[in-house]
Amino acid sequence: MPEVFTRTIPNAPEDDRPLEIISDHEYGKLTSDEYLYTSKHPVGEPFLKPEEGEPTYIIYLATYLNFLLLIIIGHIRDFFGKIFKPKEYEDLIEIDGYAPWYDGFESFYVRRLKMRIDDCFARPIHGAPGRFIKCFNRKRDGKYGYLYDGTSRECLNLSSYNYLGFAQSSGTCTDFALDCLKYGTSACASRLHLGTDLHKKCERVIADFVGKEDAIIVSQGYGTNANFFMSIADSKTLIISDELNHASIRFGIRLSGAIVKVFKHNDMKSLEKLIRDQIAQGQPKTHRPWKKIIIAVEGLYSMEGNMCDLPELIRIKDKYKCYLFVDEAHSIGALGPNGKGICDYFQVDPNDVDVLMGTLTKSFGATGGYIAGSQELIDKLRLDYITQGYSESVPPPVLGQMISSLSVINGDLNPGEGKERLQRIAFNSRYLRLGLKRLGFIVYGADDSPVIPLLIYLPGKMPGLSRSLYDLGIAIVVVSYPATPLLSARARLCLSSAITKEDLDDLLIKLSDVGDQFFLKYNSKKLPIEQVLSTLVEDCKKTNLDF
Amino acid sequence: MASSLVISTTTTTITSIATEILNRQLSDGQNLPPPPLSQTWQVILNTFIHHFLKFLNLLNKIPGGPVVLRYIKSSYQNDPIRSLFEYCLFIFALTYFFTSKKKENKSEIVKFSSKEIDELCNEWEPEPLVKEVINLQEWQLKSIPEIVGQNQFNLKKIIINNNTYNDEKQSIKNFASQDFLNLNENQRIKDAAEVEIKYAGVGACGPPNFYGTQDVHVRVEEDLAEFLDSEQAIIYGQDYVTAGSVIPAFLKRGDLCVVDRNVNNAVQKALIVSRADIEWFDHNDMDHLNQILTQLKPVLDKQKPIKRRFIVTEGLFANSGDIVNLPKIVELKNKFKYRLFLDESLSIGTLGITGKGVAEHFNIPRAEISITIGSMANSFASSGGFCVGVSSMVHHQRISSNAYVFSASLPPYSAKVTSQAIKVIKENIDSRTGQSKLMTTLHKITNYTYQTLSRSSNTNLNCYFDIVSSPQSPMIHLQLKETYREKLNLPLLYGNSSFITTGKPSQYPNKFDEYFNLECFLLQKVIDLILTKSNILLTRSKIILEHEDLPVLPPHLLINLSASVTKSDIDMLVESLDAVVYSIFKNIQAENDLINLTNEILNY
Repeated sequence: MPEVFTRTIPNAPEDDRPLEIISDHEYGKLTSDEYLYTSKHPVGEPFLKPEEGEPTYIIYLATYLNFLLLIIIGHIRDFFGKIFKPKEYEDLIEIDGYAPWYDGFESFYVRRLKMRIDDCFARPIHGAPGRFIKCFNRKRDGKYGYLYDGTSRECLNLSSYNYLGFAQSSGTCTDFALDCLKYGTSACASRLHLGTDLHKKCERVIADFVGKEDAIIVSQGYGTNANFFMSIADSKTLIISDELNHASIRFGIRLSGAIVKVFKHNDMKSLEKLIRDQIAQGQPKTHRPWKKIIIAVEGLYSMEGNMCDLPELIRIKDKYKCYLFVDEAHSIGALGPNGKGICDYFQVDPNDVDVLMGTLTKSFGATGGYIAGSQELIDKLRLDYITQGYSESVPPPVLGQMISSLSVINGDLNPGEGKERLQRIAFNSRYLRLGLKRLGFIVYGADDSPVIPLLIYLPGKMPGLSRSLYDLGIAIVVVSYPATPLLSARARLCLSSAITKEDLDDLLIKLSDVGDQFFLKYNSKKLPIEQVLSTLVEDCKKTNLDF
Repeated sequence: MASSLVISTTTTTITSIATEILNRQLSDGQNLPPPPLSQTWQVILNTFIHHFLKFLNLLNKIPGGPVVLRYIKSSYQNDPIRSLFEYCLFIFALTYFFTSKKKENKSEIVKFSSKEIDELCNEWEPEPLVKEVINLQEWQLKSIPEIVGQNQFNLKKIIINNNTYNDEKQSIKNFASQDFLNLNENQRIKDAAEVEIKYAGVGACGPPNFYGTQDVHVRVEEDLAEFLDSEQAIIYGQDYVTAGSVIPAFLKRGDLCVVDRNVNNAVQKALIVSRADIEWFDHNDMDHLNQILTQLKPVLDKQKPIKRRFIVTEGLFANSGDIVNLPKIVELKNKFKYRLFLDESLSIGTLGITGKGVAEHFNIPRAEISITIGSMANSFASSGGFCVGVSSMVHHQRISSNAYVFSASLPPYSAKVTSQAIKVIKENIDSRTGQSKLMTTLHKITNYTYQTLSRSSNTNLNCYFDIVSSPQSPMIHLQLKETYREKLNLPLLYGNSSFITTGKPSQYPNKFDEYFNLECFLLQKVIDLILTKSNILLTRSKIILEHEDLPVLPPHLLINLSASVTKSDIDMLVESLDAVVYSIFKNIQAENDLINLTNEILNY
């Protein structure tokens, strides 16, 4: 039968497998109690910068050349394209007295570099993005288009933010969310106009979970940060921000009008020096003292797989009377023996952090964000936080997912299940990280981080890696400049409790092959795959994940 | 080595001259006249050259040194000025290279020793993170209604200010929700949501560009584009962030936008972030807009290359409930070659015979509106926002719009709900008139409500309130009459106007305004009393004064209609509102009466 291709995305193919298999493919069963681990930072020990391998200089040089070549070819194509194919450049020129929608120069990177590997991004999927993810098969057609043949491929999911494996279409949490449909599908009003008892309950559950007096919920994680800072800062406030903070934090700070200073990523010495200098100098021009200084950091940096040095941050903030804002978008649920995020991981009292922000998108299979803090802060925010007044509040099924997944982790619902989820993500993270290190890959980040950036360096290798892994049934995310520094293009592997140890073995074997094929094992020290797998389970539970 | 030999011989000659001069000075200090100035200069010069040559000799010892040495020698050519010039250039290049890129104004920095810094750090006392909610504001916290159960038209139980309202016999009529088409209660919508949750779970667990786009997301974008007669659509995870993300993606520094003075908060913040040049025209005043565009024309005609120009306004204004004069704006924007950005968050799903918003209401093709944004959280009973327009515009957002790129996708079930809602709106279309049945119901009841409200028999209502919203708006804005507000000495507008007058938003958030607080409280009294007396829940405009960058209109009493409201509900509402207004406002006839409410506020 000839294949029929469509330009639009087809409907999801029928899935007639029994529920049992579907749920196993969304959340794999634990195969042995050995594959569990509890992650936490030893109290009192300094938080050391994780050891990161360095490739040879040739690789850096080749990366520069790679970019140079791409840029030159891009410009040549632009030059001739504008002459011979003016129709394709209509977006970039004035038409009938209207300026183009966007600049040719501004969009050069996207048009000429990203477009070449466009098929590695935005692969449409269907179904719950659990242990496996179902991607529609497609092939490129023309500049922007794709052709779909109606089939999809089930890939091992290392791409979704599904740390605790709550992306499920059946089970306790889904039932609870479905039950909440009796509250409707939408909140249909802003929180300041109307709330329901479900909203109130959810806020209570979150506040109790993170260990703060009260919490406030917002329907989107990005929107939580983007509109938050104007409620706590004005132009006489100094915000000291980590250079790798998420775009939403930077957007929020910009909107608040506060003065912002940036410190080197995770460099506590430069942070302390900056604070000392700023307190001494005061505001620019007037030299009046700052009204307040807010340090903004993330708990777990999603591109680096690195945590902030919370104990040191708290020492600095206490010493200099600053306020500390920690974005726990990735760390809540994913870190700590009780899943309570970065404070839990470092065994720090959550009340030492002034503002705990987080999202429930990543670990808890819901969507939306929260801000937790003291009663005074939250009371003020209820009246003063613009997303409370002008934007939709969280819809009921999402509230249901939030409440139920947090209760599972707490142990209030299905005792034991939460603990298992937490211990599986901790084990999986360490297992894969050590495996990759020993195979000779260069990976960034802390030992316990469920985000593992695997360095590719050369942008030319990105599509190769992404496509060959996709063909082998593995879905990963590749990122490059501008999301990362120019030199360090990387693949990002996000782990999940839903993945089993056998999946990871399979992944390591395939990655090892592909890594050889693309010369990605940049480290001088490397072991063959059989040797790596033979002792990995015991070795990954040792305190330090040394080679 | 030859080069070092040459240098060492010159060195000896120099040293001998120097010693000769020194010896002469030491031996015969009194008799001889002091050595001429030129000689002293020579000594200094010679010592300098001596040390410099020594340094050059050192160069020989490091790898690559001889090359540098050879270059210096060949470039010297008995022309010391030329060499000196080259050295200066070299040193300048080095300093330029090593000084930091972000140069702070050094003259502003005061030098401190580390001990002084310690002292300053100890001395410094920061303000608290947030100012406490003052006791005059506490009533606002308490007055947020909490529904027990679903947000629907007929409520069973509601808690405000710790008082529980539930009447066994009669339900509470909800005029506070923004579910204009009453789809939140629609069983088919709920069924669609249930199917999708059972298929894909709740969250999307990833940004759209990284495996966060599901079949239902693409489907809803197709549905929205088709519903709104445009090429493509893009969806966002939250309605409020849509404007703040779309506007900065197209309006950059140097671009120009001409904006209505009464736009909602989301657009205000979006404009601040975009850093574009802003011109303001009076609210819905087309003559003023024409005047501004005409004034700008001569300057813009000279612009080369031309920059992007937008007219930015709203379909159904969130702050005042009136409808934009779209035909005139379209005429003007075509005449002066501007693009039109329209926020249709409230108008899509409420205006037009099939709910296609303000464009359908005026019978203007959607293509005239370059960028339309809207909300799925109101009429569609879903969540999130969207933007529709031509393909290249939408495509650009997929990679350069912040809230799309850096945020997780909308939950798949929300996408499905929107698709289903569009389906429900589109069905039962009258083949003769082309009207959607659901929309007709809403429009009829809206029409009836305006008629009933403006009846002359509502003496009290007419005495104290003006209807400021357009008669097609299902969100009815009632504002205290200007004559009455004058009597109470209430200001015409609240907030600050620095954004309009100076083009830059005020550096500080607005301060707490006692009169604004009192006026809001006055409306809350109406809301509370009508809830107690007649089981009707109304609401008021809940402006966050602190974060408004434009002058703020007086607070409004809001009646949000929905498709399930009946005529008898409206009769009852208007009748009891009239009575309630009388019983509250009869005692408040002067500024003092208003100030006296302060006690009531404190004890709320």
